[in-house]
Order: sequence, then structure tokens, then C-alpha cells
Amino acid sequence: MDERELTARVKLGDEAAERALYDAHVDRVYWVAYRMSGRHDLAQDFTQDVFIRAFDRIADFRGDAPFGAWLHTITMSVVLNGLRKVKRFDQREAVLEEAGMVTSSVREAEPDLKERLAQAIDALPEGCRVTFLMHDVEGFTHEEIGAALGTTAGTSKAQLSRARAKLRIALADFAGDWIQ
Amino acid sequence: MTDDHTNEQPNDAIQDERIRSLAAGHYHAPDGSVPREAMWGQIAAARRAARAGVAPIAAVAPAAEVAEQSADVIPLDSRRRTRTIVVWRWSAAVAAGLLLAFLLGKYSGSFGPTSPASRQIAGNTPARTPSEHSRIDPPPSAPETPSPVPHDEPTRSSPQRSPATRPSTERFTPSAPMDVASADTAAAALYRAAAVQTLVQAEAVLTAYRGAESSTRDPQAMQQAARWARDVLSSTRLLIDSPAGRDPQMRALFTDLELVLAQIVQLSGTPLQDGERDLIDRAMRDRDLLPRLRSAVPAGSATS
Repeated sequence: MDERELTARVKLGDEAAERALYDAHVDRVYWVAYRMSGRHDLAQDFTQDVFIRAFDRIADFRGDAPFGAWLHTITMSVVLNGLRKVKRFDQREAVLEEAGMVTSSVREAEPDLKERLAQAIDALPEGCRVTFLMHDVEGFTHEEIGAALGTTAGTSKAQLSRARAKLRIALADFAGDWIQ
Repeated sequence: MTDDHTNEQPNDAIQDERIRSLAAGHYHAPDGSVPREAMWGQIAAARRAARAGVAPIAAVAPAAEVAEQSADVIPLDSRRRTRTIVVWRWSAAVAAGLLLAFLLGKYSGSFGPTSPASRQIAGNTPARTPSEHSRIDPPPSAPETPSPVPHDEPTRSSPQRSPATRPSTERFTPSAPMDVASADTAAAALYRAAAVQTLVQAEAVLTAYRGAESSTRDPQAMQQAARWARDVLSSTRLLIDSPAGRDPQMRALFTDLELVLAQIVQLSGTPLQDGERDLIDRAMRDRDLLPRLRSAVPAGSATS
């Protein structure tokens, strides 16, 4: 049974079809949610919310685009709103300032590149962080990101450019090794 | 991805690609397995509740323990718990009210008229035993013998007559209309009582907020007021959608109250900026919230 048929059945209230769509997409949704939040409990929470919303609003899905694309728009919206609710923004802004102050001098004290990378990504302004993760890591297009964030593709490109620049600066100590 | 590097140095593209690849492999990378069944259990429960027309408050999202790390954030599951508790309280109150109303309806005949409906019935007929409530009045040509049970005595001990022992002139009709009318009256009274209680609490919250904000600007007092406001906000939202919210005047008051309480809750835990303080003050002032609250609360309710 293809997805078009499954979505049609979901519209009729078929729970088995809901389960089939869930099985097909849950991993992707869960790991995107985890990538964005960094916490399994939040990822679980967001994933549930994504599917509940998707099934509740299945009547809005016209089938012009793949179900997965439509679902990931909901995912973005749920995750971002969820993160806003927990007010992570302010915390990350604060961490950004700290990271900006220490990046040029901590290589000896903190040589682990992965650790530094994680800190640098966490320290990005939320819009930059989301755009970087969605575009460069998860492979969303600027149009999709713009739609999910309620901005334009141009804004998404600008955010991505800022994110990359900040990450390059934060990880400048390692740049020599990479280029060689 | 290369189209995003038009204004950057060649080395930047190499670094970006390296960072991207590291991030994909290591930043919150998938680890472990997806708890499919646990999540599906919650989703299916929520879907079934939605199909049945019940708000799936507790089932939607059980796992968030988001805010414990940050004192200025309202814990998500705490909010859910609060809402769930409030809903259960409401359900219990309504159920108790309906039961009370049913009992009142069932036995009111023997205690004399208590409501317009029962007064109307009592004006036409003498007092009856519970079993007689299920009967309609006999025709005028066959007057019914008044009940021997005195009005001031409970009638529970009155023997219930079986259909076989009833006089042949008696006809039967469902007693539901009278019970429903009594139940409606009792439920409306309960909603009114809940509304008054919420308004009393709201008045206290707003007074506490103004006291904490204007005189001392004590952060702890502000947080306490905000916590209190959160509880009242939940009740207010429930009341807006309840029969108590059908009254236009009451609904307008609840809606204005909800706005102000939400602002207070939203700003809890953060030092209020002048603009935010003005926003709340203006919302209270423009809507005459405190005077309206006080006038909506019957005298003496605050102490009950």
C-alpha cells in the first residue's frame, strides 16, 4: 500500500494506516527532534506531538507533496515551538558569549574537537543553530526552512552564512589541520 | 551546498564541509533505538481520545521534564499535571452535582417545592412518594388520594409499590425531565460557585501582584504571585469554556482576566522591565479589572 492510499485511509480514521505511516516516518522525525533538542525525553515528547498533530490535520494534506515533506514541516514547527517554550534561547545566547570569549585560548585545556564543536553549535544564536542543523546536517532546503520558521529562503541563507562563519571562528584552532 | 559559499574563501568551503560532516556524525547524532512502542501508545491513546471527543490532556506528551533545569520556566509536565488535576476536580464536582441534583429531584416532592419546576408540579398535586414521581396525574374524574406521608418526614422508608400492586388508573411516564431540570439547576449552581471562587482568587492574585510589584519589587514575591496566577489561569480557562462562560458579561470578564494572568505568568521569574510592567498595569487599568472583579463577587464570598 503506497503512502497516498495510507493517507486516504487515515483520513477515514483507519488506525492501522496511522500505524503504518508512523512506522515509516517515526525514526526520521525522532532523530531530527533529538538533533535539535539533544534530549531523548524531549525528542520523544516532540515526536508524539508531531504525529498527533499530523493525524489531526490530515485533512489539510492534499497530497501535492510527499507525506514525508509535509510531516517534516510539522516536525520543524513542533520542535521549534517546543524549544521556545522551554526558553532555551536565552540560555544559549549566554553560552554564546562565554564561548566567544574562550574559543581562542582553550585548545590546550579542551582539545577534544567533538566537544568543542558541540559547544560551538550550542552557542549559536537559535536561528543560526536551527538553520545550520536543518540545512547542513539534516538536508532541508532553504525554502523548507523558511516556511517552517515563518521567514524567507533569503533569511535562511543569511542565517546559515552567519552560522558557518561563527563556527569557523569558534573552531579556528583546528582549521590548519583540516586544510592540510 | 557549494552555492552557499559564493562570497567565501576557498578554505572556508573546506572548513565548512569538515564542520558539517563532524556535526552530522557527532552532534546529537542518533544513538540507541527509537522508543517506537512507547510513543505509539501515547499517540494511539490521544487519537482514540480525539475520536471520542475527549481532550487528551495527560496522554499527549508525558515525557517532558524540560524546565526543571531552569527556575524561570514553567515545567511542561507540571502544567499538564495541574490541568489534569483541575479537570479531574471539575469532573468530580460536576459528577457530585449531578448526583446531588438527581437525589434532590427524586426526593424533592416529599420535602415540598424547591424549584420553579417542582413548585409548579407541587401546586397541581399533593406530595408524593418517590415511586409516585414516575406517574402522571390521574384525570380529574379520578382524584388521587393524598399521600399519608407528612411533608416534613423523609419518604425513603415509604414502601415502593410494584407495578402489579399499582391501581389500574395509574399510567407511567419517564421521570427524566424533572431530574434533568434539577440536575441543570444544581450544575449551574456549581459552576456559579466555581466562578465566584475563581474570581475571588483572581482578585487576591492581582492584589498580591500589585503589592509585590509596586511596593517592594521583591522577586520572590513576584514569583509567588506568578505561581498563584498560573493556577488561577487554569481555572479561568476552564471556566471560559464551561456553562459559566456562556454569560456574555462573565465571559468578557474571564477573557480579560485570562489575558492579564497570562502576562503575569509569562513574565514570572524574570526581572520585569518597565515596558512589561506598564503593559500589565495598562491591561488591568484599561479593563477596570479589579473593580469589575470586586463587583462580580457577591459580598461575603471572599471569606467563605
